Amino acid sequence: MTTIRSTARGRRLGPAFSWFGVVGGAVAWSVHLIAAWAVDELTCGAGRATVAGVPLVAVMWVAVIVPALVTAAALAVSALVWRRESAAARQRADRGYGRTGMLGLVGLGANALFLSIIVAGGAAVLVLPVCQP
Amino acid sequence: MTTTSAQAVPRAVAVARLEEQWREQRSLRSWFATVDHKRIGRRYLVTAGAFFGLAGIDALLLRTQLARAGGDVLSPDQYNQLFTMHGTAMIFLFATPMLFGFGNALVPLMLGARDMAFPRLNAFGYWVFLFAGLIMFSSQFLGVAPNGGWFAYVPLTDLPYSLGRNLDVYTLGLIFLGVSTTAGAINFIVTSIKLRAPGMSLNRAPLFVWAIVATSFMVLFALPALNAANALLFLDRRFGTHFFQPDAGGNTLLWQHLFWIFGHPDVYIIVLPALGIVSAILPAFCRRGVAAYPLVVLATITIAIISFGVWVHHMFATGLPSLSLSFFSAASVLITIPSGIQVFAWVATMLFGRIVVRVPLLFVVGFIVTFVMGGVTGVMFGITAFDMQITDSYFVVAHFHYVLFGGAVFPIIGGLYYWLPVLTGKMASEVLGRWAFGLVFGGFHLTFFPMHLSGLLGMPRRVYTYPTGLGWDPWNLLSTIGSYVLAVGLLLVVLSVVLAVARGPRAAVDPWGGDTLEWAATTPPRPYNFASIPQVFGLHPAWDRRTLSRLETDEVLPGHQALLTSELDARPQRLVSMPEASLRPLLAALALLVVVLGLLWAVYWLAIAGVVATIVVVVGWLWPPQLTRAEAEAA
Amino acid sequence: MTGKLFTESTAPEALAAEPAPRSTGWWGMVGFVTTEAALFAVLLGTFFYLRFQHGEPWPPREIERPQLTVPLIMTAVLLPSSLPVVWAERGIRRGQRWRLRLGLAATIVMGLTFLSLQVMEYQTKLREFTFTTDVFGSLFYAITGFHGLHVAVGLLILSWVLAASLRGSFSSHKHERVSLAAIYWHFVDLVWVAILFTVYLSQHL
Repeated sequence: MTTIRSTARGRRLGPAFSWFGVVGGAVAWSVHLIAAWAVDELTCGAGRATVAGVPLVAVMWVAVIVPALVTAAALAVSALVWRRESAAARQRADRGYGRTGMLGLVGLGANALFLSIIVAGGAAVLVLPVCQP
Repeated sequence: MTTTSAQAVPRAVAVARLEEQWREQRSLRSWFATVDHKRIGRRYLVTAGAFFGLAGIDALLLRTQLARAGGDVLSPDQYNQLFTMHGTAMIFLFATPMLFGFGNALVPLMLGARDMAFPRLNAFGYWVFLFAGLIMFSSQFLGVAPNGGWFAYVPLTDLPYSLGRNLDVYTLGLIFLGVSTTAGAINFIVTSIKLRAPGMSLNRAPLFVWAIVATSFMVLFALPALNAANALLFLDRRFGTHFFQPDAGGNTLLWQHLFWIFGHPDVYIIVLPALGIVSAILPAFCRRGVAAYPLVVLATITIAIISFGVWVHHMFATGLPSLSLSFFSAASVLITIPSGIQVFAWVATMLFGRIVVRVPLLFVVGFIVTFVMGGVTGVMFGITAFDMQITDSYFVVAHFHYVLFGGAVFPIIGGLYYWLPVLTGKMASEVLGRWAFGLVFGGFHLTFFPMHLSGLLGMPRRVYTYPTGLGWDPWNLLSTIGSYVLAVGLLLVVLSVVLAVARGPRAAVDPWGGDTLEWAATTPPRPYNFASIPQVFGLHPAWDRRTLSRLETDEVLPGHQALLTSELDARPQRLVSMPEASLRPLLAALALLVVVLGLLWAVYWLAIAGVVATIVVVVGWLWPPQLTRAEAEAA
Repeated sequence: MTGKLFTESTAPEALAAEPAPRSTGWWGMVGFVTTEAALFAVLLGTFFYLRFQHGEPWPPREIERPQLTVPLIMTAVLLPSSLPVVWAERGIRRGQRWRLRLGLAATIVMGLTFLSLQVMEYQTKLREFTFTTDVFGSLFYAITGFHGLHVAVGLLILSWVLAASLRGSFSSHKHERVSLAAIYWHFVDLVWVAILFTVYLSQHL
C-alpha cells in the first residue's frame, strides 16, 4: 500500500481528500439540519403541505437521505486516511503522517457520530406527520 | 531581521541582551501601553474575578430575599435588575473573559511562542472588555441596570413594555463587549495555527489549546447572532423599526431564535475551555498524559459543531412542528456522547495514573462529580415531554448552575491554583486551599441541589417572592444557607491567592511537574518567555529530555522576533518581528467607548466624534512602516 | 483516468501533503471576514424568516415590490470593481507601483459610484416608505444600509492603502496590507450579490 508513489497533482488533491474525511460529515449534517428544519417550519407555518408541487414528506426524505449518503462517503474516506497514514507513520517517522493519521481517526469518529444524528433525527419522518405541532 | 550570530557571543551575553530588549519600565505609560500577553492575561483574570465578586453579591442579595416566604429585602424592580445583572455578568463579564484570561496567559507559553500573534489587538481586547464591564456595572449603581432577564425576551424588552435606558445598556453593552470577544477569538486562532513551536504538529498540540481554538471558532460563528439580535432590538427601541413587533409585520419568536443560536453554543463557549483546563491539570497529578488524546480532540471538535444544532431545544414549549423539533432533539441527545468520551478519558487517566492529591486535583474531581450531575439533568431536557413540564422552573436554575458552576467555576479555581506559579511565581497554601475546596463544594451542592426539588414542586424561576405553604420554604432556606457557605469558600480562595502573592513562598521551577511547555520556561516566565525557540518531539514536551536540553543549548533568538511555522505540521516558515508596547490600543478602545456612550445617551454628535476618533487612531495604528532604503531600491 | 487520479491522491504522502503556509495577517483577515459573513448570513436569514412567518401579502400593506433598474446598475458597478484590485495586487507583486496606484484608484471610483447610486436609490425609496413604515422598510434600510457602511469602510481602507502606496510604502516583497485590503473588498463585493437576491430579486419570484 505504501509503495504507491504520488505525483504533484496527487499532492495538490490529497489534502482535499483528507479534509473531506475530517469535516465532510459535519458539513453534511449542518446542511441537513438547516434545510430540513427551515423547509418544515416555513412550509407548515404558511399552511401548506407541498413545496413547489412536491409533497413535503418527500422533500424531508431527500433532506435526510442525501446528507446521510455524503456522511457515509466521508466515513469511508476517513477510514482510508486513518489506515494508510497510520501504516505510513509506522514505516517512516514523519510527523506529517502522524498528524494526518490522527485527523483521519478524528474524522472517523466525527462522521460516525454525525451519521447517527442524521439517522436518529431522520427516523422521525417515518413516525411523525410533517406538520403536527 | 538582525542576524546576530550566537556563536560569536556566549549564551549568557545573548540572554542578557534579550532581557534588556524586552524589559518594561515600571512607569505609568508602560502600564497602559503594555502588550505582554502574561500581563494582559493577569488583568483579564483580576478584572473578571472582580466582576464575579460583584455578580456574586447580586446573587447573595437574591438568596437573602428568597430565604423565607414573603421576604421584603428587595423590591420587585430591584429584584428584576439583580437577577438580570447576575446572569448577564456571570455569562458575559465573568465566564468568557476569565477563560480568555487563562488563554491569554497560557496559550503562547504552551505553544512555545513569545506572544500572541497580534499583541496590540490583544491589549485592545482587554481595554474594550474593561470598559464594557464598567458601563454595565455602573448602570447597576445608577439604578438603570438591564431588567429583562439575561436572555431579554421580546416583547417584554421592546417598547412600550420596557421604557428607560435599562435595556439599551444591555444591547449596547453586549455589542461593545462582542468586539473584545471577537478580537480575542481571532487572535487565539491565528496564534495557535501560526506560532506553534517547530515540531508541534496538530497531533502534538496541548488539549487546552485545542479547547481554546474550538471555542474561538464557536465565537466567530455564534456571536454575530447575538450582535445582530441586540442591534435590531436597539433599532426597534430607539429608532422605531418593527423587527420584533407583530402589528407591523415583525415577529417576537425571531428574538428567541437569534438569541439561542448564540446562547446554546455559548454554554459550550464557556464550558469547553474549562474542560481544556481539566485536561491540562490532570497529567501533572496523575503522572501520565490524558488517556485517548485523539478521542478527546474528537470530542472537543464535535461538541463545538453539534452545539450549533441544538438551539431549538430551548423552545420546545413554543408550538413548532414536532418533526422539525425532532432533528434538534437528535442532536441534543447525541451531543452527550462526546461529553461522555471526555469524562471517561479523565476517569481512565486517573485510573491508570499514579494520583497525587493536591488542591488543583481536588477541584478537578469536584468538577467531574458536579458536571456529570448537571449532564444527567441536561439529557432529561432533550426529551421534549419532560422539557414541557419543567420549563421556566427552578429545576432549570439548578441544572444550569450544575453545568456552568460545576463545568466552569470548579476548573477555573483549580486552574488558578495550578497556574499560580506561572502567573505570579508564588505557591498558594495547601491547607487554605483544601478548606476552600471543602466549603465551595459543600456550599455549592447545598445551594443548588434543593433547587431541583423546589423546581419539581412547581416553583417558577424569577419570582421575587412566594407565599408560604406550597412546600417550597425548607428548600429555599437550605439554598440560602448554602449560598452563604459557598460565599465563604470563595472568599477563602481569594484570600489564599492574595496571601500567596503578598507573602507566599517562591515557587520552584516547574513545581507540579506539568507536561506542557509553560513548565519548561522559568517560573514565572521572563517577558520573552523562551530565550531560544523550543523544539517539540512529542505530546509532552516538558517531560521530553530532548526538548529540555535543547532549550538550554540552542541559539538564542535575538530581539523582538518570533518564528512562524506551517499550519498543520509546524515546519519553520520565517522569522517575523513582533510589535512593541503602544498606547494606541487603549486610545482605540477609549474612542469606541465614546461611540457607545454617545449612542446610549442619544447624544449622536458625540457618537460621530467617537467614530472619527476611532478611524484616526486605527489609521495611525496600522500605517505601514517606511521601507528601508534597500527594500525601496529592490522594488 | 479517475482511478489513477484517485490512486495518486490517496497515496500516504499525498494525503499528508501540506498546502503552502500563509501569514498571520492573512489568517486574521480570513477570520474577520468569516465572522462578518456569519453576521450577514444572520441578517439575511432574519429577512427570510420574517418574510415567511408573515405570509402573503409581502411586502406588507402599501409598499410596492422594489424596482430593479437601479439595483442592477449598482451591481454592474460594484461586482467588476474587484478586478482592478486583483490587477493592482498582481502589479505590486512584480514591483509595478503604477499598477498598484491605478488599480486602487479605479476601484475607489467604482465604489464611490456605487455609494452615489445607493443615495439616489434611497431618495426615491424614502418618498415611498421609511425605516418605520413596516417591517419590510425596517429590513430594507437596515440590510442595505449595513452593507453600504461596509462599502464605505472598504473605501476608507482602499484609500488608506492608496495613500500609503503614493508615499511608497509597498514593494514587491512588502505589500501584505494590499492583499488584506483586497480580501475585505472582495468580501464586501460578494455579499452584495446575496443582498441583491434577498432584498430585491426574491421579491419578484
